[in-house]
Amino acid sequence: MSVGTPTLRQDAREKVTGAATFPADLVPKDALHAKVVFSNQPHARMRSMDTAAAAGAAGVVAVLTAADVPVNEYGLTAFDQPVLVGVGSNERVGVAVDVSRWEADHVAVVIAETPEHAAAAAALIEIDWEALPVVADLTEALRDDTILHPEVGGSNTYHTLKIRKGDVEAGFADAAVTIEQTYRLPHQEHAYLQVEAATGWIDHDGRVSVETSGQWTHEDAEQIAHALDLPLDRVRVRYATIGGAFGGKEDMSLQIVMALCAVRLRDLGINRPVHCCWSREESIIGHHKRHRGVIKARLGADRRGVITAVEAEVWLDAGAYNYTSTKVLGNAHLSVAGAYLVPNARIDSHAVYTNAVPGGAFRGFGGPQGTFVAESQMNRLAEALRIDPVEIRRRNLLEDGSEGITGAIMPKGVTLRQVVDACADVASTSEPLAAAPLFSPIATLPAEAAAVRRGRGFAAGYKNVGFSFGFPERCEAEIHLHGDAEDEVPVSADIFHGGAEVGQGAHEVFCQMTAEATGVPRDRVRGHFSDTATSGDSGSASASRLTWMAGNSILGAAEEAEKAWRNGERPAVGQFCFVAPPTESLNPETGEGNPNFSYGYMAQAVEVSVDVETGHIRVDRVVSTHDVGKTINPALVKGQIEGAVVQAHGYVLSENLVVEQGRIINPRLSSYLIPGIGDIPEHVESVVMELADPLGPWGARGMAEMPYITYAPAVIAALHDATGVWFSEFPLTPSRVLATLSDDAATDSLFF
Amino acid sequence: MIPAAFDYERADNAEHALSLLAEHGDEAKLLAGGHSLIPLMKYRLAVPSVLIDIGRIGDLSYVNDGGDALHIGALTRHRDVETNELVRSEAPLLARATSSVGDPQVRHRGTIGGSLAHGDPASDLPSVLLAMRGSVIVTGPSGSRELAADEFFTGFLETAVGPDEMVTEIRIPKAPGAGWSFQKFNRRAQDWAIVGCSVLVDGDTCGVGLVNMDIRPVRASAVEAAVASGADAASAAESAAEGSDPTSDLNASAEYRQHLARVLTKRALEEAGKSSA
Ligand SMILES: Cc1cc2nc3c(=O)[nH]c(=O)nc-3n(C[C@H](O)[C@H](O)[C@H](O)COP(=O)(O)OP(=O)(O)OC[C@H]3O[C@@H](n4cnc5c(N)ncnc54)[C@H](O)[C@@H]3O)c2cc1C
Repeated sequence: MSVGTPTLRQDAREKVTGAATFPADLVPKDALHAKVVFSNQPHARMRSMDTAAAAGAAGVVAVLTAADVPVNEYGLTAFDQPVLVGVGSNERVGVAVDVSRWEADHVAVVIAETPEHAAAAAALIEIDWEALPVVADLTEALRDDTILHPEVGGSNTYHTLKIRKGDVEAGFADAAVTIEQTYRLPHQEHAYLQVEAATGWIDHDGRVSVETSGQWTHEDAEQIAHALDLPLDRVRVRYATIGGAFGGKEDMSLQIVMALCAVRLRDLGINRPVHCCWSREESIIGHHKRHRGVIKARLGADRRGVITAVEAEVWLDAGAYNYTSTKVLGNAHLSVAGAYLVPNARIDSHAVYTNAVPGGAFRGFGGPQGTFVAESQMNRLAEALRIDPVEIRRRNLLEDGSEGITGAIMPKGVTLRQVVDACADVASTSEPLAAAPLFSPIATLPAEAAAVRRGRGFAAGYKNVGFSFGFPERCEAEIHLHGDAEDEVPVSADIFHGGAEVGQGAHEVFCQMTAEATGVPRDRVRGHFSDTATSGDSGSASASRLTWMAGNSILGAAEEAEKAWRNGERPAVGQFCFVAPPTESLNPETGEGNPNFSYGYMAQAVEVSVDVETGHIRVDRVVSTHDVGKTINPALVKGQIEGAVVQAHGYVLSENLVVEQGRIINPRLSSYLIPGIGDIPEHVESVVMELADPLGPWGARGMAEMPYITYAPAVIAALHDATGVWFSEFPLTPSRVLATLSDDAATDSLFF
Repeated sequence: MIPAAFDYERADNAEHALSLLAEHGDEAKLLAGGHSLIPLMKYRLAVPSVLIDIGRIGDLSYVNDGGDALHIGALTRHRDVETNELVRSEAPLLARATSSVGDPQVRHRGTIGGSLAHGDPASDLPSVLLAMRGSVIVTGPSGSRELAADEFFTGFLETAVGPDEMVTEIRIPKAPGAGWSFQKFNRRAQDWAIVGCSVLVDGDTCGVGLVNMDIRPVRASAVEAAVASGADAASAAESAAEGSDPTSDLNASAEYRQHLARVLTKRALEEAGKSSA
């Protein structure tokens, strides 16, 4: 038995001893060094660029510009971004390539003998810019005075999703209570430990090769092949040890430019690899963020708290380029009404271009934004009707056979009720809240009992597993079984898989599942991962999909290998491409369709202490409850839950990215405050349930995003419980908390 | 960022350090624990061409019983102050404040002399020096002089230490039975203070030093006066932000800092009131 046991992860020893090699550790001896030059222009048109001085500077080998890029466009879901902004580029692309729409648009790459030479030369590049009006935020973008992507259409609001279900007017007419509120959601930075770094070279087969960290080798390769106009089999991408991704490495950073460097060096007859590593500032400025946005919501319910209607308008700031905004929007759209039975709904969700940092993939992928609103609305409704927050959910939950918000019947295995009940039970939500426990010596909350209020909050939800909306969802695996011709059973196995190990433990889980599926002991399974030259397309490490999809691909490959084994083949090779059940894009007018094939369900109860004189909040306890279907590795599941809670803790409490006029004002970890060890919740209890997903491998469900998603609304509800004040905006920085508490006190006193 | 290039000299003792200072003049900076200076150099806010390393002058690392006061060598590391038995019994406020400086790495490198000589309003230890009415021994070519806390901090990152002088000792009057409290509010545990407050209550006299409430470390004189005239903690603390001029930044507005100064001072006065013998 390997599945279900806390095996030591295969990379544990090398990570603990420091032997693991991350992309920045892999600088070949003879490497040249690249500096990627950012435009530093949130919106401007390039008139001209003079690279002569840079090209002639000491140590410089080449300076690459827009004219060097064969097909000067890229983008994960739409080719709306130039690889290098500049003049003299080819005519083959739709987007205007001489316009910088983002302060981190790339304008040139300087290749030199050392990083210092490259940086010094980069400073010599002279660019003549024509300033264009900066579309700073949603409010300005919606005026449509300046259209950022005319090639996409006549409005900055470039993508809209709708849901029209039942009769909304009648639903609100039937409501005994209506909750109406506008919510504002902040950006969040991924803040992975390992910043972007990559090496580009031409391999011994003449392939353009890039070693980096990312979330989907094959997609990286496709983006490179497109921009460099190369056949896909001429491009190779492999991943070194990855120091965190969280969605932030879903899109391209250095992949295309490092491949471009390799190609141009070859053209110059220089057979040397080239390396680049971003600084923390470059990383924060240079990659997308969790979307900020505004959501207006209205919820109607009868006296018993049964939902009669939902209305919502979602506006996500996509920033300068789409990245995965249209897909993120889809998840916000699906989650903004909650995991509830909603007979009548009108939901309009929009992605809007601005000159801010692009919004994109980040753990939960729109789910946190939508769920924050859905659950805040539900908690306010519970308060308005004086119904227990757990009980009101029980009256509305989706169940097996329920029709979801898009009119499709939910995929089998809806276990939200069991999850909500288990969470309420473990957290004893029906018992009175105990007095504040003693303060931890490292907490910053001054020990002033009289100023401390305690409160408890609850939130529940769902999140899809796998790609949605008709996106082809597949995953390949290859297994080799070894042994002598006369062996009954194989003695060892190799697994070849593309799936990215971003720190979550995927590769250990792949090995465990291979062991389980082939009967080979775990320690006789060898993994070969994340190299387009040796593994098939796995799809990305995202959408809580990898265990689910890879597990099914491994089961298929094991079965194929088993057949070959019985035929006497040695090694017995099994290849398999698992194709998930089909999904559908939503009807553009009604939103009808079946967007997903599997979901994970979660509920969280949170207890907080609030210092009402300073605005400081401490989270005392979190009960995080998840149906994971089947635990492949208990230690890794717990790691995902605790890690997600800590990441969400930063989102709701301390992380405050300031973006003004298209510029990030605090691109440093000294001013963008992620929680430290003394700031995270005192206790996180992981409640792991195993109610099988009928389609999951061994019954497993995806689970890695779920503990993140419900945390913000649970904390906000606990804060309300403690203070009587609702917050519709976060991060809950102490000064914001204090200001809102005193504002509210001021309003309250009007009634005396 | 990487600091600009500099020359490095190591001083064997205080005299050696002073002669190196005399030799290199304005170009030179003393390097103690380096935990404030090196960050400034990385941002190129300080660009000394010579660093005179005084960090290894062992005979300036001590805590001595000087009768009425503790005598603490300028190069004594935070960690050695924090754990010293004399400090803990005779000046617990100093021990407590020192233990809240940064994290263990910082406390094993940073020195009490460097912390005071840096003159940073955001540092914790100046507020202790002010509250406990300590003094600083400054030594130069022509000998030593003793500066009271109130004379020492002159401006933003500026002190009364001359370019050819160095801090050699810190004197903290003993206050074994006095009530005391140190309050520090930060956005994250182990961060610098947004606002902090040191309070010492000894019979009728009271000392209140504030962290991060002005361009230099400041004393809350109005609070001290209010306490002296018999005001209770809550009403005395009302004037904690009087005359202060804190900065506004991404972490806190000036108004929020002023509010915090009042809250922390009230709490500190109350706590000190309870702990006074
Ligand atoms: C991550 C981090 C967190 C920190 N957190 C805090 C905190 O929470 N609270 C806090 O108070 N401090 C904090 N500090 C600062 C720390 O306390 C420093 O140690 C201290 O401020 C400076 O002491 P130093 O010995 O390192 O001095 P250095 O950095 O070596 O020197 C600082 C300045 O003082 C001068 N100098 C040093 N010694 C003498 C001397 N004997 N005579 C004359 N001039 C001298 C130097 O020339 C220089 O200008 C933190 C530092 C870091 C890096």
